[in-house]
Amino acid sequence: MSSAVDRTKEVKGVVLVADPAREPCFTVVHHDDELQDWPDMSEVSRREKLHRHMNNETGAIEIAARCLVDFPEASWDLRMSLARQVADESRHATLLLRRLKELQGAKGDFPVANFEWGVTLMLDNLPGRLAIQNRTFEAGLIDILGTMRNRWREVGDHETADMLEGILADEVTHVRFANRWIKRITEEDPRNLLKVAKAVRYLGQVLERLSPKVGDTNAVGIAWSEERRLPPAVNVEDRRAAEFTEEEVAEVLRQAGFRSILPSTAPGN
Amino acid sequence: MGETIRQKADRVGTFRFISVYLMETLAGWIPTTPELEAKVFFGRHVWDFAQHADWLGRRTGELRSPMQWSLPPADGYLKVLETMAGATGTMERMTGFHDGLLPDLEVRYRQYISGTDMLNDEPTVRILERIQFDFVRIRADRAAFAATRPDLTLTDAGWPARIAALASGEPDYVLSRAAARITVPAT
Repeated sequence: MSSAVDRTKEVKGVVLVADPAREPCFTVVHHDDELQDWPDMSEVSRREKLHRHMNNETGAIEIAARCLVDFPEASWDLRMSLARQVADESRHATLLLRRLKELQGAKGDFPVANFEWGVTLMLDNLPGRLAIQNRTFEAGLIDILGTMRNRWREVGDHETADMLEGILADEVTHVRFANRWIKRITEEDPRNLLKVAKAVRYLGQVLERLSPKVGDTNAVGIAWSEERRLPPAVNVEDRRAAEFTEEEVAEVLRQAGFRSILPSTAPGN
Repeated sequence: MGETIRQKADRVGTFRFISVYLMETLAGWIPTTPELEAKVFFGRHVWDFAQHADWLGRRTGELRSPMQWSLPPADGYLKVLETMAGATGTMERMTGFHDGLLPDLEVRYRQYISGTDMLNDEPTVRILERIQFDFVRIRADRAAFAATRPDLTLTDAGWPARIAALASGEPDYVLSRAAARITVPAT
């Protein structure tokens, strides 16, 4: 896999692109077992969730921005979508920082990792990057946000839940434009399908090497169980809104053990 | 006598080139700028300049040139853009862009509006007016940033003034296609 940027780092034998710039207040770590992550909704867990999400949104800004710089020959309508995504993710990071401060948190309170940047920027082609960042990571965020929105609401924090609802709506548009564009370019030139497939295979190999195993613990001593290693419940309704096909939704459901956030209305109603 | 359609297209195409260049400059700075508040500040404005480029690019298609067509500016002005984009410090980047270059670009947009037939060239004028409307908000964002991160200061105090001086020293920024043809060596 050829890297799109000059500097790389090695994490447990896997070569990834070196981290983007972060302020000195942040402790940048490189693997899940170095992160602090509590499964409950205690106050410290809530702040950590916002903090981690804030850094992930920052990474999404950086990845979309690099796509604008690295692929000037891309179609103008796609570049417009990427530019909009840069602005959306910037707004999300700002919202999350604001909410973190409201809950008495601050930048740098918890370690951060830039895994998505490190993986996605290893790809030197735009179909591959969109397949990984938008169609995989951001689509995964659709599922996570669907679950987290409900959890924040269950603990009575409707302000954070409403904020996540707004972010979720934006993420659906980011996944949708990537789905549309990948569909179009693979129909125009089947060789692009190979780039997408290679990118997905590459991600699978990285995850196989770096995903925490059952029994591993994170930086606060929380162990990874089989249940914690499962993908989040699938947000079927929003995945459909992002224009995944029924077959793709079914496959993600299968991988998640058929756990889903049920759609509020059946398709066609 | 006013400009021809081709001359207008050259000018609008040059404005589009500049808008795309500014969008890419901000995008390129984001991963290498450490401060979160500066990253998101640049990130929000990436979309502004993309929209400006898009509006201008639609107009080039109406001026008997291709849709979303850009014309690189004259070498002197291009060097100004490159110098501004080459800044490495967070505040040098922000001030060179927002305090040094943008006011000069705003002047060029105003000069275009004042020099054209407001009725005949109304679609271009409307686009440039909308861009100037955005510039008011962008200036306000820039002013607010100082309160957000008062700890960030310039290492090179003269940087924004130098960018402004370099930009104003290049009044001829349009490299018209007719002129460009003359400079192409015969093969």
